[in-house]
Amino acid sequence: MKAKHFLYLIAIGLFVVSCENSKTGSNKLPVLGTVEEAQYQFVNQDSAEVSPKTFENKIYVTDFFFTTCPTICPTMKQQMLRVYEEFENNENVMLLSHTIDPQHDTVGVLRTYAEGLGIASDKWMMVTGDKKEIFDIAAKYMVSALEDESQPGGLVHSGAFVLIDQNKKIRGYYDGTKEMETNELIDDMKVLLNE
Amino acid sequence: MNKKTLTILGPALVGLVVVLILLYSTRATDQGAELYAVHCQSCHMENGQGLRGVIPPVAKADYLSIHRAELACLIRYGAENPMVVNGKTYQQAMPGNEQLTETDIANVLNYVLKSWGNEEKPLSLQEVQNQLEACD
Ligand code: HEC
Repeated sequence: MKAKHFLYLIAIGLFVVSCENSKTGSNKLPVLGTVEEAQYQFVNQDSAEVSPKTFENKIYVTDFFFTTCPTICPTMKQQMLRVYEEFENNENVMLLSHTIDPQHDTVGVLRTYAEGLGIASDKWMMVTGDKKEIFDIAAKYMVSALEDESQPGGLVHSGAFVLIDQNKKIRGYYDGTKEMETNELIDDMKVLLNE
Repeated sequence: MNKKTLTILGPALVGLVVVLILLYSTRATDQGAELYAVHCQSCHMENGQGLRGVIPPVAKADYLSIHRAELACLIRYGAENPMVVNGKTYQQAMPGNEQLTETDIANVLNYVLKSWGNEEKPLSLQEVQNQLEACD
């Protein structure tokens, strides 16, 4: 009886160890989706045109927000600032924040907001455009995130950061309101840059 | 119930009541902190630092003493126009909190006035009421 219990313990122990290994052992990120086919044309805080070409051969992180959002957006921006600072001098990395309230968030409003954050517009683009186009592209980025989103309208209000690679494949979703998940994103970006 | 269980249960019950009262009273004094966490923290952040040049800090903000007489109205009705805090101009609007009672406003302000190194004198409920009556 006792010996049997002991064996169970060893089995559980091995199982736990093997799980740990498979998590830390891989140095490649999964492919969760793609935005290769997606077409869009937005303008950023400098009135410059932004299209898929803007991100050619770059990895980028994207999210959705609006400047007057009273809930999660300031926290997301605070976390995105950490990503910005980490990769400020890496020209293979870009950040892309879409407003989901283009009616209010015009180029001028986005410029003021970006200036408040003190960010360079060729590194971290804040874009506005046609509302339908923005929501269409949100649905494309959030394809797999959507499945986990139980609450209605959750997709853009989820606070998600989406990581896209050089080939426009989706490589990760992170909760942009959480410091721990943003740390994970930063680590994953380093992995992706070394792939 | 026999005598023995009473001598054990009695003190245990008293102890439980004392713990509950203590828990309840510390909760009550932390009301301002709770209000802050729910209504303010998403913008002004856990440590009161705000968000760069977008949302002003409430920690060590000169605004708190300079505009002390307008604080209650700011919390209730928000602010649209740019404001200067610690020499920096902020452009974003702050939404109002019309659902907060006068007591709530006093509690949350007093939490701000004494947190993160702030050492402002607390506002009495009477002061808050007077300020709210005079909002324009
Ligand atoms: C949606 C984001 C947001 C929320 C929520 C918010 N504020 Fe503000 N707060 C701001 C902004 C932006 C300003 C600057 C307003 C302006 O420039 O007109 C500001 C200004 C202030 C100021 C004056 C300037 C300073 O920093 O000292 C105080 C005090 C203040 N807020 C306290 C609070 C309190 C207390 C709460 C919760 C009841 C709260 N705020 C909720 C965004 C917010």
